[in-house]
Amino acid sequence: MKIGIYFCNCGSNIADKISSAAVAEAAGSFPEQPFLKTVDFICSEDGKLQFEESLKAELPDRVIVAACSPRDHEATFRRCMINAGLNPYLLQMVNIREQIAWVTEDPEIATAKAIRAVRGALYRVRLQQPLEKKELEACPDALVIGAGPSGMKAAMALAEAGRSVVLVERTPMIGGLPVRFEELFPDLECAPCMLEPLMGELLHGDHAGKIELMTMSEVIEVTGFYGNFIARIRQRPRHVSLHECIGCGECAAACPAVTMNGFNNSASERKAIDFAFTGVLPNAPFLMEEVCVRSRGEECRACKDACPMGEDVVDLEQVENVVERRIGAIILATGAGLYDASRVAGMGFGAFPDVYDALQFERLLSSTGPTAGEILTRAGNVPLSVAIIHCVGSLDSDHKPYCSGICCQYAFKFNHLVSARHPDTAITHYHRELVMPGKTAHTLFRHAARNANTSLKRYSSIDDLAVTLADDGRLQVSANGENNVADMVVLCPAVIPAEGTGRLSALLDVGCDSSGFFRELHGRMDAAQSAIKGIYLAGSCQEPMDIQKAILQGMAAAGYTLAGLQPGRTLEIEPINAEVDEVRCAGCRLCISVCPYRAVSFDSGHNASSVNAVLCHGCGTCVAACPAGAITGHHFTNDQIMAEIEGVLK
Amino acid sequence: MSAQSVPQGFEPKIIGFLCNWCSYAGADKAGGMQAPYPPNVQVIRVMCSGRVDPQFVLSAYEKGADGVIILACHPGDCHYKEGNCRALQRHALLNLVLEQLGVEKERCRLDYVSAGEGEKFNRVIGEMVEAVRALGPLRLLRENNA
Repeated sequence: MKIGIYFCNCGSNIADKISSAAVAEAAGSFPEQPFLKTVDFICSEDGKLQFEESLKAELPDRVIVAACSPRDHEATFRRCMINAGLNPYLLQMVNIREQIAWVTEDPEIATAKAIRAVRGALYRVRLQQPLEKKELEACPDALVIGAGPSGMKAAMALAEAGRSVVLVERTPMIGGLPVRFEELFPDLECAPCMLEPLMGELLHGDHAGKIELMTMSEVIEVTGFYGNFIARIRQRPRHVSLHECIGCGECAAACPAVTMNGFNNSASERKAIDFAFTGVLPNAPFLMEEVCVRSRGEECRACKDACPMGEDVVDLEQVENVVERRIGAIILATGAGLYDASRVAGMGFGAFPDVYDALQFERLLSSTGPTAGEILTRAGNVPLSVAIIHCVGSLDSDHKPYCSGICCQYAFKFNHLVSARHPDTAITHYHRELVMPGKTAHTLFRHAARNANTSLKRYSSIDDLAVTLADDGRLQVSANGENNVADMVVLCPAVIPAEGTGRLSALLDVGCDSSGFFRELHGRMDAAQSAIKGIYLAGSCQEPMDIQKAILQGMAAAGYTLAGLQPGRTLEIEPINAEVDEVRCAGCRLCISVCPYRAVSFDSGHNASSVNAVLCHGCGTCVAACPAGAITGHHFTNDQIMAEIEGVLK
Repeated sequence: MSAQSVPQGFEPKIIGFLCNWCSYAGADKAGGMQAPYPPNVQVIRVMCSGRVDPQFVLSAYEKGADGVIILACHPGDCHYKEGNCRALQRHALLNLVLEQLGVEKERCRLDYVSAGEGEKFNRVIGEMVEAVRALGPLRLLRENNA
């Protein structure tokens, strides 16, 4: 075996401390008789050229570069290997600059240490194997789960880039939570007006043909891996064709069955077939089977007969349907919900009708809500006094330990909206901390603080607060030994992951953090990626966030998809990964439990573990864990590491 | 058991397993600072401290090392999410085995060095070398293997 050692002087950086002649002499004692060439600056253009020319002339079987840290230039010298027609994994670097020359005073001692390190590399490089990047066909299309702001933005960006997108939404409508609001913090922009252009583009724009929207649908199974997922999606029957319905509402007008509308705090009525609320998109009603008189066995086709668009729009016989789609990437944009405020003792939520949580209050403020935007108590009166309680379940070790981040801002938005409509109404904020980061959030707070009818009362523990009924039947908020009447109490509960997050987490093997949000790959560097390759996170399913950040994260998730999967381009699989020898594998599955990336699975057909090279990051944790020595960590094999240990100690 | 008295001029041989992302980078950082530290530690680069198989450590002793130091990313900072936790678990088990073999626990140290902690790397290496120097050469395993 012919081995070449390239010794970089790095000017005087290395040469001052380490004698290349002494290294050459020591290397000469090896059976392979490796040759040693000294280069002044091997990373310079001239140095790389010399290196490549020498490689081409000598054609060594293995190559050692003794120079700077491999973290600096391993990739550089691997490219030189490729340029010279050699396999890049037949190269081993020895870090004689950062870890020897620069930190050892005595040149003799430094040279001796360098000789040991080169000997280790010689022992190791003999065992190194040529490795090839594998290539795999990959589908460039994506599945987006959740049609709120972040999911819609991601879907739109992908569609504009020519990708096909399957957009799956659990509810009958798109737009997520904000589309149910009237005005948004910090500038009181109209929420539906802000979202409508995006929703319009998505449904009817130039690229709408690339987006397959499935409302009332859920992903029930995902198999495969990055670039090659197959998703099974269950569509509950809407009984109304999204493509043919014109949204006239004649069916709802004809429908004889009435129920309370859950989208409006169950404070207004709807028909069995009806819109979630006025102006909702897609502009088509949905039929609540359990409310329809047909569910009681009665014969009725009033809605179908009322439809001016013909027989086919309302389909009373429609049943649940499961479809399968092939995609390369998955974007989770399932959003958030509110902590059940009835779990926080003393808040009166669920007990007193005029105690609202923030989402209910948003609907009360909305012109499409139960009171058409009038701020009225359940009895129909304008409230003379409103209490807003912050931090209901947030920053609370008995409930949710984190700050939900958005509540202070919407609480002061509520303040503005109430005081603008009813200037004489007294508003009291009960707050623990006040959190208003960023360049715009302070404005609504300033407005509230300047309002003569607004008072801010700080409490230290929610246990010190109690919402009760006073003798006159009005609500009463007790705090710090002081009682204040209120006609309405608005609670700001902790923001929690949306319902179904845990189910999706189990289905996709995407981990959740201790608060139940999807866990990101890295809190700063990769907050829009999950630990599973090809599964991205967008919006408040990752952590509580405002619309701005959710939209940005939606774009980030789309960006990852666009960068990673390109039509006509295969996925390159890094050869530094793990591989199971199924003959030696005893089937203990320890490797599966230690893999942070769910890259190892059990192949019951062969009764052995199997590593998916696409998902493997090459850390080697499973290799070290395997009690049978059945897993090889390519380029960091047991034999190679043991040989290096032996070499440096010889 | 190790030597009762340390031979004069004894220079311990120590193997350092460094993860690529944090502690190897920390060692490079220490290099960039150009502050000298004892030359006794020969570095073996692994991608993750979770790759360090306990048999590497035992094999290092067998092949003549007087000490082994495993340096990992700080808890929570692992490039591979939790490989350093595996290293910690294995180190705890390894300590039990080494205790039974009569190998002092100072000869097998696990510590955390981030990519920015050049000074800490320098200090930890100095401490390790002095600790093993004070213990003297590791004899038991080599004699048994002879």
